[in-house]
Amino acid sequence: MDYEPKILGFLCNWCSYAGADLAGVSRIQYAPNLRVIRVMCSGRIDPIFILEGFLKGIDGIMVLGCHLGDCHYINGNYEAEIKIGVLNKLLKLIGFSERLILDWVSASEGNRFAQVVNEFTEKIRDLGPSPIKDKKYKINITDELNVIKSALSDIRLRVFIGRKRSIITEGNVYGEVISEEEFDKILDQAIYDEYIRNKILLKIKNKSKSVPEISKEIRVEPNRVLEHIICLKSRGLVDFDKIIDIYPKFISIKEE
Amino acid sequence: MLKNGDGLMEKTGAVLIIGGGIAGIQASLDLAERGVNVELVEKNACIGGRMAQLDKTFPTNDCSICILAPKLAECSHNSKITLHTLSEVKELSGNVGNFKVKVLKKARYVKEDRCINCGVCVEKCPMRVNDEFDMNLRKRKAIYIDYVQGVPAIMTIDKENCLFFTKGTCKICESVCEREAIDFDQKDKEIELFVGSIIIAAGYDMFDVSLIPRLGYGRINNVVTGLEFERLICASGPLGGHLVRPSDKKEPKKLAFINCVGSRDIKNNPYCSSCCCMYTTKEAMIAHEHDNGLKSTIFYIDLRAPGKDFQKYIKRGIRDYNLNYVKAKVAKIIEDKEKNPIVIYEDINTFKIKQEIFDIVILANTIVPKRDAGELAKVLGVELDHYNFFKGETYHPQITSKKGIFLCGACREPMDIPTSVIDASSAAARAAEIIIER
Amino acid sequence: MEDIKIGVFICHCGTNIGGVLDIASITEYVKTLPNVIYAADNIYTCSEVGLSEIRNKIKEFNLNRVIVASCTPRTHESLFRNTCQEAGLNPYLFEMVNIRDQDSWVHMKEPEKGTEKAKDLIRMGLSKAILLRPLEKIKVDINPSALIIGGGISGIHAALNLANQGFQTTIIEKESELGGNLKLLNKLYPIQVDASKLLEIIYMVESHRNINVITSSIPVKVEGFIGNFETTIKKNKQISKIKTGIIIIATGAKALIPEGLFGYNGKTVISQLDLEQLLKENNVNAQNIVMIQCVGARNDVRPYCSKICCMTALKNAMLIKEINPNANITILFRDIQTQGTTYEDYYRKAREKAILFVKYSPEKPPLVKNSVVEVYNELRNLIINIPYDLVVLSTPLIAHEDSTKLAKMLKIPQQDNKFFLEAHVKLRPVDFATDGIFVCGSAHWPADVRESITQAYAAASRASRFLSKDYLEVEGATAEVDTEICIKCKICIKICPFSAISKNQEGEILVNKILCKACGVCGASCPVGAITIHHFTDEQIISEILSCGVGY
Repeated sequence: MDYEPKILGFLCNWCSYAGADLAGVSRIQYAPNLRVIRVMCSGRIDPIFILEGFLKGIDGIMVLGCHLGDCHYINGNYEAEIKIGVLNKLLKLIGFSERLILDWVSASEGNRFAQVVNEFTEKIRDLGPSPIKDKKYKINITDELNVIKSALSDIRLRVFIGRKRSIITEGNVYGEVISEEEFDKILDQAIYDEYIRNKILLKIKNKSKSVPEISKEIRVEPNRVLEHIICLKSRGLVDFDKIIDIYPKFISIKEE
Repeated sequence: MLKNGDGLMEKTGAVLIIGGGIAGIQASLDLAERGVNVELVEKNACIGGRMAQLDKTFPTNDCSICILAPKLAECSHNSKITLHTLSEVKELSGNVGNFKVKVLKKARYVKEDRCINCGVCVEKCPMRVNDEFDMNLRKRKAIYIDYVQGVPAIMTIDKENCLFFTKGTCKICESVCEREAIDFDQKDKEIELFVGSIIIAAGYDMFDVSLIPRLGYGRINNVVTGLEFERLICASGPLGGHLVRPSDKKEPKKLAFINCVGSRDIKNNPYCSSCCCMYTTKEAMIAHEHDNGLKSTIFYIDLRAPGKDFQKYIKRGIRDYNLNYVKAKVAKIIEDKEKNPIVIYEDINTFKIKQEIFDIVILANTIVPKRDAGELAKVLGVELDHYNFFKGETYHPQITSKKGIFLCGACREPMDIPTSVIDASSAAARAAEIIIER
Repeated sequence: MEDIKIGVFICHCGTNIGGVLDIASITEYVKTLPNVIYAADNIYTCSEVGLSEIRNKIKEFNLNRVIVASCTPRTHESLFRNTCQEAGLNPYLFEMVNIRDQDSWVHMKEPEKGTEKAKDLIRMGLSKAILLRPLEKIKVDINPSALIIGGGISGIHAALNLANQGFQTTIIEKESELGGNLKLLNKLYPIQVDASKLLEIIYMVESHRNINVITSSIPVKVEGFIGNFETTIKKNKQISKIKTGIIIIATGAKALIPEGLFGYNGKTVISQLDLEQLLKENNVNAQNIVMIQCVGARNDVRPYCSKICCMTALKNAMLIKEINPNANITILFRDIQTQGTTYEDYYRKAREKAILFVKYSPEKPPLVKNSVVEVYNELRNLIINIPYDLVVLSTPLIAHEDSTKLAKMLKIPQQDNKFFLEAHVKLRPVDFATDGIFVCGSAHWPADVRESITQAYAAASRASRFLSKDYLEVEGATAEVDTEICIKCKICIKICPFSAISKNQEGEILVNKILCKACGVCGASCPVGAITIHHFTDEQIISEILSCGVGY
């Protein structure tokens, strides 16, 4: 397919943006598909930004920061790594993760900057245009991305992400330091659960449905769906609507 | 106006800082932020010094120019700092509080206020000459900037090599410069500066390794110095960060680093160069990051790593970077038919003579006093020590033999970057004290 | 809602941009974009002609947003911001678009695509500019006085320098007199001067009109921030408060007592510190002396080299040789740490004094027996026995137990062995990430007298940068917490590397704009979106994303 991918890049001011400038000063030519948004630190990037970009139809998104240990703000890039890592796991669930990269480019790596941009651009070219631009997939992909967006806007996952570094370095409120592997195991489960829960919410947004109906639609076992429904109900996000046959039907509670 | 705790005081003068490396830069910034006017005199066309040449820095392995560039920019933006590049101190008169300094400012042949560092002239200049910044490992033009992030970000014409100055022809740069920044009529000029105090941050030179012929430098292609290696592995260096060996452009698999080259050596320099144990470790680590099949051996006499978290760094090198430390004295380096250097050494622990073949050998040559340290000391009227480093007081090493003149950085003793930075701030505090006290 | 009037200035940069991109088409395109009141190209926007044009057009068209599309904001943003300000426009209403370093210079062979890119980039800049808000720089008064915690050799010198610069300085010392570790030492290397000689300066400190010394006292609470710290001090049972602009930590370290190591008994097996006392009393009668280096250091618990012990051993060995030239002294070492010129000279001098040096490896450490020290000699591959009547153990400096308490009080970090952790190992070695707090001497890392004094002056220099100002002015672009939305989860407090976010007395979470460096990490981490990162707001960034030129 002949198309020009649209690539968006978030560059931190101190390293990768400087590296991009250096590529310029050294006249290193690279693919013209990149559109750059300068931020002060890669840690500024809220995963929501990236989802907004994908929803808009951007084909590929790069987040570039200082090498680990070089952050001008001490550890902002570690935070970026955690956030983008979680987003990546969610995108994997919908087969979209190839379109996002997080990488490090220093202010002295003009060559490397050009190389990273070129390689990513080619990869996105090979992947083809974002499926969201295809009428066939548009609704489905939009729904999936919105599910992820609502999962990542929700306080539960965000608290998890925000606390990760302090818990694995300083410990939780009980002073227990949890290893990164242990933490990630719990986090992975939470990521998956929140994804499913938000997916259920979307499915019953306008029309009430029974557990078996939802189960069939999202291909998750009915007893798991029921557990999620109970959880969502306790959060006050789902209400019982009516009983049809023997099955109770649920509907999501619309926000004011 | 300078302010102190007692309220406002009359402005009593600026501070002259000699040398625009990391020490001079740090001293300048501290003083400027303190409200003191600074005259920063640098011999080269750009400030930045040795640190700008380094790829990464220990013990964090962060990129050297990444952390230096913001400081360079601060120096050029801060209104309290006047940069005098291509300049040298020629004469000093007066006393503490009232020094008069004559500075020779060499012609740049480029108008500082016109040039925007666009690089068109560089592209068109026909002369290719050795690039000193890149340790002569690549060519630059006769109109050039020391390095791309250099400050001030303007071009310089190298009179020695410019076709107009040598043959009276060319002037291509002048014709392509849309900013009309080229000025062949510029002349060297002498300026006078009035300062209350002086800080010497003149830096150091590197030991000439060819003075030890048995190490094969110059004769064996794959024997390089530490600073050359620094450029070879640097992403913005002549190899674009892709390390290959000089003789056949093959990717090396085995590196040898030899410490104390020209130092702790009665015949050359008896002192310790302070930073080589650490920088060879760093260079070996970076090389391993480029190719993790690579193995490095570091030959040392004593492994000197007393700085903050330096021991941890060495341990990490051994654990994660395949580094092998051998306590040994290297006798000589020879070459086999494939141009592989062979290191012949005496294992200090066992006194046995051994030899090993490597792909590249890196000589950690020592820091030596600036060649013209004697001249500068004479102009300023300060003493040197028995090695020709600038001499400081024992417990106040920033204080020279002359009141009002201070020292910082490796011009007084070999030292690493963190120590130079502390030294610079320290000298700045002493200079500030002099100016405020008056 | 204000009426947005944007002026766009597109720079040719000679042929640097103009020679590649189609500036005319870009300018025409920009004129069609919403809110653009004025758009024009210049040969050099950064020249005086270009700058005065910006100033004139701001006035002529009442522009309230300005965009320059040219080189990189990293070098030129401040120039253009100042220009806007000169014309009466809030400098934060300026936005810069990079069409040279990141466009014309890197797409020289694809000018059409480069031109398209420039249009996209300017459009993105415009969409951000519409949402820009004026911001004001923030000023805070600076109390021009210093508090120095610790009255050892570094604290004393930091105080002297600041006092000589005219700043009121208070030293608090937990002991009953100033001097710190130096009081325990005999002579100092490398010139064998009496340690007490270097303490004569205490007289100057105590009589200095700008210095106030409070002994037998410790800090118990620190509140406030740069410019306005308030420290609660406990002296005996009395509590008092002191207000200062900055704080310097000069609490030092102490020598490890080698309890349980190498048969330490304080009599025949002693520490270097014990030896200092014996030498002071001129009470060293031993004939055969063995010194063991790295005792309790460079091991798993304390992996670090304490920096000062090799020189201390050399010094004491030479002093003993001076008193008793026939004494047999052996130093068992791992690596001799004598960096630089003076110290290496000193080492060479010791070697000339017939002091025996034997290297040992940590795998086969020396064994102190009843009358001999047994050590494995690699050279001869055999165990040698060195007779002794005195063994001296060189132990490292270790952090004080109460340093963690102080770290918590000041919200500053420590490294693994509880030495204080500076903002940046290389470029900010005596600063902390939190502004207004500094460190010097062995509290930072084991340091000898020369180094401690050097660091003391360095810390004073860094501190005087703030103290000399009437007020501190910081960038207006910072983070801000909307307390209505905030759920007080405190994630931002933990995540901020500059300790800029804290809870106030009413329990509200607030950003201290003086300490905030606007990295934006807290904003991206807030679970409920209660934090606004000014000048890089969510809305501004998302607006840029949405206008980058795709649609379907």
